[in-house]
Amino acid sequence: MKISLNHLKNYVNVTVPVEELCDRMVMAGFEVESIEKQGENLVNVVAARILSLTPHEDSDHLQICQMDVGADAPVQIVTGAQNIHVGDLVPAALHNSTLPNGAHIKAGKLRGVDSNGMLCSGGELCLTEDDYEGASVNGILILKDEWPTGTDMREVLGLDDYIIDFKITANRPDCNCFLGVAKEVSVVLGTEFKAPDPTYQTVGGDIADYIDVTVENADLCPRYLGRIVKNLRIKPSPDWMQKALIASGMRPINNIVDITNFVMLETGQPMHAFNYNDLSDKRIIVRNAVAGETITTLDGKEYALTPDMLVIADGKKPSCLAGIMGGKESEIEDTTTDLFLESAKFRRDNIRHTGRALGIRTEASGRFERGTDICNVEYAMNRALSLIDQLDAGDIIDGALDRHNGLPEDRILTVSSQSILDLLGVEIPEETMVDILNRLALETTAKDGVLTVRVPSIRDDVEGRADLAEEVMRIYGYDHIVGTPMRGEVIRGTVLPERAKADKIKALLCGMGADEIMTYSFIASRAIDTLLLPEDDARRNQIKILNPLGDEYSTLRTQLTTSLLTVLSTNLNRKITDGRFFELSKRFVPESLPLTAQPKELPTLSIGIYGKEEDFFTLKGMVEAVMQLCGAHTQYERSNEPYLHPGRQALVKANNQVSAVFGEVHPTVAAAYDIPERVYVAEIQLEVLYAIEKRRVTAKPLPKFPAVERDFAMLCDLEVPVGNLERAIQSGAGRLLEKIQLFDVYTGSQIPEGKKSVAYSIWLRSADGTLSDEQIDAVSAKIMKNLEKAGAELRK
Amino acid sequence: MLRPSCGAEFIFFLEEKTMKEQLEQIRAAAKSALNHAGIEQEIEDLRVKYLGKKGELTAILKQMGSLSAEERPAMGQLVNDAKQELEALIATRKKDLKAAATELKLKAERIDITLPAKMRKQGHLHPLTGVTNDMIDIFRSMGFDVVDGPEVETDHYNFECLNVPADHPARDMQDTFYLAENLLLRTQTSAAQIRTMETRKPPIRVVCPGRVFRADEVDATHSPVFHQMEGLVVDKGITMCDLKGVLEQFAHEIYGPETKVKFRPSFFPFTEPSVEVDVTCSECGGSGCRICKGSGWIEILGAGMVHPRVLESCGIDPTVYSGFAFGIGLDRLTTTRHKISDIRSLFENDQRFLEQF
Repeated sequence: MKISLNHLKNYVNVTVPVEELCDRMVMAGFEVESIEKQGENLVNVVAARILSLTPHEDSDHLQICQMDVGADAPVQIVTGAQNIHVGDLVPAALHNSTLPNGAHIKAGKLRGVDSNGMLCSGGELCLTEDDYEGASVNGILILKDEWPTGTDMREVLGLDDYIIDFKITANRPDCNCFLGVAKEVSVVLGTEFKAPDPTYQTVGGDIADYIDVTVENADLCPRYLGRIVKNLRIKPSPDWMQKALIASGMRPINNIVDITNFVMLETGQPMHAFNYNDLSDKRIIVRNAVAGETITTLDGKEYALTPDMLVIADGKKPSCLAGIMGGKESEIEDTTTDLFLESAKFRRDNIRHTGRALGIRTEASGRFERGTDICNVEYAMNRALSLIDQLDAGDIIDGALDRHNGLPEDRILTVSSQSILDLLGVEIPEETMVDILNRLALETTAKDGVLTVRVPSIRDDVEGRADLAEEVMRIYGYDHIVGTPMRGEVIRGTVLPERAKADKIKALLCGMGADEIMTYSFIASRAIDTLLLPEDDARRNQIKILNPLGDEYSTLRTQLTTSLLTVLSTNLNRKITDGRFFELSKRFVPESLPLTAQPKELPTLSIGIYGKEEDFFTLKGMVEAVMQLCGAHTQYERSNEPYLHPGRQALVKANNQVSAVFGEVHPTVAAAYDIPERVYVAEIQLEVLYAIEKRRVTAKPLPKFPAVERDFAMLCDLEVPVGNLERAIQSGAGRLLEKIQLFDVYTGSQIPEGKKSVAYSIWLRSADGTLSDEQIDAVSAKIMKNLEKAGAELRK
Repeated sequence: MLRPSCGAEFIFFLEEKTMKEQLEQIRAAAKSALNHAGIEQEIEDLRVKYLGKKGELTAILKQMGSLSAEERPAMGQLVNDAKQELEALIATRKKDLKAAATELKLKAERIDITLPAKMRKQGHLHPLTGVTNDMIDIFRSMGFDVVDGPEVETDHYNFECLNVPADHPARDMQDTFYLAENLLLRTQTSAAQIRTMETRKPPIRVVCPGRVFRADEVDATHSPVFHQMEGLVVDKGITMCDLKGVLEQFAHEIYGPETKVKFRPSFFPFTEPSVEVDVTCSECGGSGCRICKGSGWIEILGAGMVHPRVLESCGIDPTVYSGFAFGIGLDRLTTTRHKISDIRSLFENDQRFLEQF
């Protein structure tokens, strides 16, 4: 809500400087978005008269002007303008002046002739035709001959004002107008508030002879008030009204339109003016639109209407989109002679709904959406008529058509004053509370510790003790709230086990040199295609955002890998030679699509690494570390994710449940992300790991008896995974196995084609005694038998 | 030299004298050799030469048999003395030489201690995680439990229960991403308030950190994905002063003990009274600077007393219980704390950025 300080002073005495006013309004709940001092950038520019004009000898267009700038001696200025004459009053920027466009003017020479400033055009002063007549002329701005030479241009243009932009919170629609702001200012400053007198003269007649008003949907239009004005005298509105409109961001048009807009700005009640002679059948019907109806609005756009939309129709067709925008057909034009003037209350949710559906938002619809006061309808109408009368804009016909089903009574709240203080925690004398509420026009009396408050309809935000507490406190001053330390039983708060586990995983990965990343939860819809997943892959069942910020952020992710690949690509392409990254976030898995219920939000860990030290096995080490941290017993199996290298990927079973997939990224996929080298990624389904109950450790006594070490060297086919051999040894050794270590895998000279040599060291130990040769031989035999079954041939 | 010719007595005298002399000679020679030895091995060689099985001193002992029974103890004593003396000297010399050798070795092993450390590169928590963890710590110490809520919320929990009915203008305060008619990405962690109040009975004291979403175009200060921490306290007799007390403690721990907290009236549909909370600018301490745009204050969060209608909708009687709620923007806290000028760097994940935290 932008308001000119000078205009505000018409309603309330402002006794403090503008900065203090703003500070105090902020502390009363009215945030100030900006204070704009008019003419702040217009310095040392004055009204000056042209005394003489002589052509420049070295130029065919420059002229040398001797200017009366209000000083003792004339000032010489060279100009290229052709629209000036001796005797004209024009704006002259003197030596060391500043223009609103930021230009700084200094004395200099133009083709050898001294020029001590510059004559200005309307454009150079950032003026439009609305600001000053003739401002759009191509050439120097010719001023009205009503100022002495030397007058500061800020005064000429009336730029001695401040425009204050108050941010009005959604609960105070009554302050979306000059009067609302002025009332608050009067309470905050403790000065008098004066509402304008809305009286006017009529010329007789009877509205009933002119028009009939029917409200068919009183639910959506609880009040509709109409008046007739004849013999319009359309002309520009007066300067003061134009200034007030411009300060608040509206464009002056003509006296009638300006009055409706001004009254809206002043009272908060939107008004609408119909060209009476364009209304068919001389009827106004407030009704729902009929399917198939259309309307062309003032801005020339045509909209198709639906039956949930409210229109103001004449006898034949919609003439106005109720509360939002008038129709082109019944627009007020310079030739309009008679006027039907509307002041009404429309239900806010319906206006909001229609505005959204059609994509229109206007000053009027914004106010209806936030809520207008049904009792204000009449005051606003009277104010508009009084302005029509004052400005001699037309003849007001007697009689009003006021359609409503009764107006609300003021609400009476009874609240104990102690209960208000209990919420605030401060002591405020009851008289003070009563005084504050009365100043806010919430008529209050106190008896036996109970406040009785009369709440007018304009303050329907005030519903009970909490609202009264806020009203009292914001005027009494929030500085009186003094912090008290946390009371009650203070014990350390708990965290959910999942969060505790997540923190441990993060710490572990940081310890392994990985940096934590954070990426958006939504991705491009086509990003999933880069993983080359088959059509029926569950990860393709993605949730779409209905109103995304473009396709790039349109889809809730079902996996973290695509985001991770983007991060790897970003870093690689910035010449960062190696990296380890991880992210803990959620993947969104819908039960069904289209979405009918909240999806599963599953905790997920992604890890991505690259660099010359990294390979499949360094990633496997990180994955295994996470698994061990969570108490999982792991099993690694070949997997076939299309986005991973077919020979370098694995899935991990944690306690027999699939919990992760990892491997080297397929070169085709890497290329799609502009990744030029081998990178390795893992995606771990943390819900599986979180579900593992980690058993409390029972300490085993340290061994009392010696361990025996045995080596097994073997040959096997290249395809045999060493994991199989390891399992063969484990099952053969049974409980006596303490440790197993692979120490060699070899292919090459002395090894037959298609074979590899594998060697393990194992350590056997018993808790019951030193192992005998017989025991060791028996275990070795079992191991060898198992190894042979697994396809290995022992090397002696 | 006198050459013995005859006479047993004379011979005895001569022999005795000779043995003693020999002993002295050996002893002196050994001592001298030991004292001159430069390395440990030489000492060992000398020990063998004098005290070994075939050593010179051992040889003297072997000659003892030729002495008379009367003479033997005296001579034996002398030999043993010499032996002990030499053994002691050997031990001392060995120790000294070992120490000298160690010293020499250590001297040779001197290194340039300014050469780079050999360490495994450490990873780094994301700065947002760092800030979130600090906040969780602060609020847990004040007895707040940490809870989580879903990111995909129903209209009911994100709006209706928070006193924002459909087509209410307060919905314009937050541009919402919709997934279906009644499903959306939560615009505030406040939704978790309702879930908490539905499942717990007062006294309630929880914080809910989490990710929230609003349809804001991406720029240096806006991100469609950001993070908040919601706090909620419900109990008998909770006042606005309690709210200020908790926020003061939080501000002191995050921004320093001199930090002041200011309430400014504001509006949120789910609290009444509602306030914006400012703290004295941590950069200038309140005197005004570029960071606080000269005001001396920076806005850090919104808060208020839980709206009675919100309590009611969760089955809590507002005439018996009262409470407060606050919502802190974690991204903003992170960017101001670390002087990060562009919020986008939080989500870009450049290693050179991440490694700084």
